[in-house]
Amino acid sequence: MKIVTRNEGNCRVVALVGSADINASEALRESLVGAVESGAARVVCDLSKTDFVSSDALGILITAWVKARGRGGFVRLAGCQQRVREILAEMHLDRLFEVFPDVAQAAAAGG
Amino acid sequence: MPPKHPKTDGLGPWTERILPTQLERIRDAEHEVLLRLRELGYGDDCRFAVRLALEEALVNAMKHGNRMDQSRCVHLAYRVLPERVEIHVTDEGDGFDPAKVPDPTADENLAKPSGRGIMLMRCYMDEVAYAGDGRQVYMRRQRRA
Repeated sequence: MKIVTRNEGNCRVVALVGSADINASEALRESLVGAVESGAARVVCDLSKTDFVSSDALGILITAWVKARGRGGFVRLAGCQQRVREILAEMHLDRLFEVFPDVAQAAAAGG
Repeated sequence: MPPKHPKTDGLGPWTERILPTQLERIRDAEHEVLLRLRELGYGDDCRFAVRLALEEALVNAMKHGNRMDQSRCVHLAYRVLPERVEIHVTDEGDGFDPAKVPDPTADENLAKPSGRGIMLMRCYMDEVAYAGDGRQVYMRRQRRA
């Protein structure tokens, strides 16, 4: 999996390209949790090119979410493919994360 | 009750693999099973489901069962039949009680980073059954029309 990071407005966008499987966990943690820990409290995780998420990846997203919330910020999800949306729904994580159709809307939303 | 991994029941051979407790070995095991599913014409949805469940089972076996002890192995056995795929994953750990794993969808657990693997397995496979004091998990998914 490739991770591409950029800024959009006052948000840090972390795009996951490929499969967020167990082999991607370390890089995902460094990029996503690392972004929050280094001060980026407003993070949008772009999942538009993510075709697979393991429970480990979900755990890392949640860890980043908890840390961002603790700093008054957020981790939002954007552009989820259908299978990823289904996994989020099965795990009830659509009650935890704000999920947006695309990065622009996620970055522009208030809060 | 899940089948006890019978070696010969006339339904088709099992393929067995011994995996060292190294997370990077999981991808190759997944690829092998997925290739077999593709060869038998299983569709994308099924291959995705099996990939997810198998990854969760193997990660659990290595991380929680074997506690990442590289002196321990994970035993994978699978067979892909025309109408279903069956998988056994066995670790060499101390076992556990799957009934005691908290519900990850409960409100108080939603923000916890772990505990979702077994539930994902149950969501995406038609049968998930533990045996051997939790050291072995059997999973089955029927082919969809």
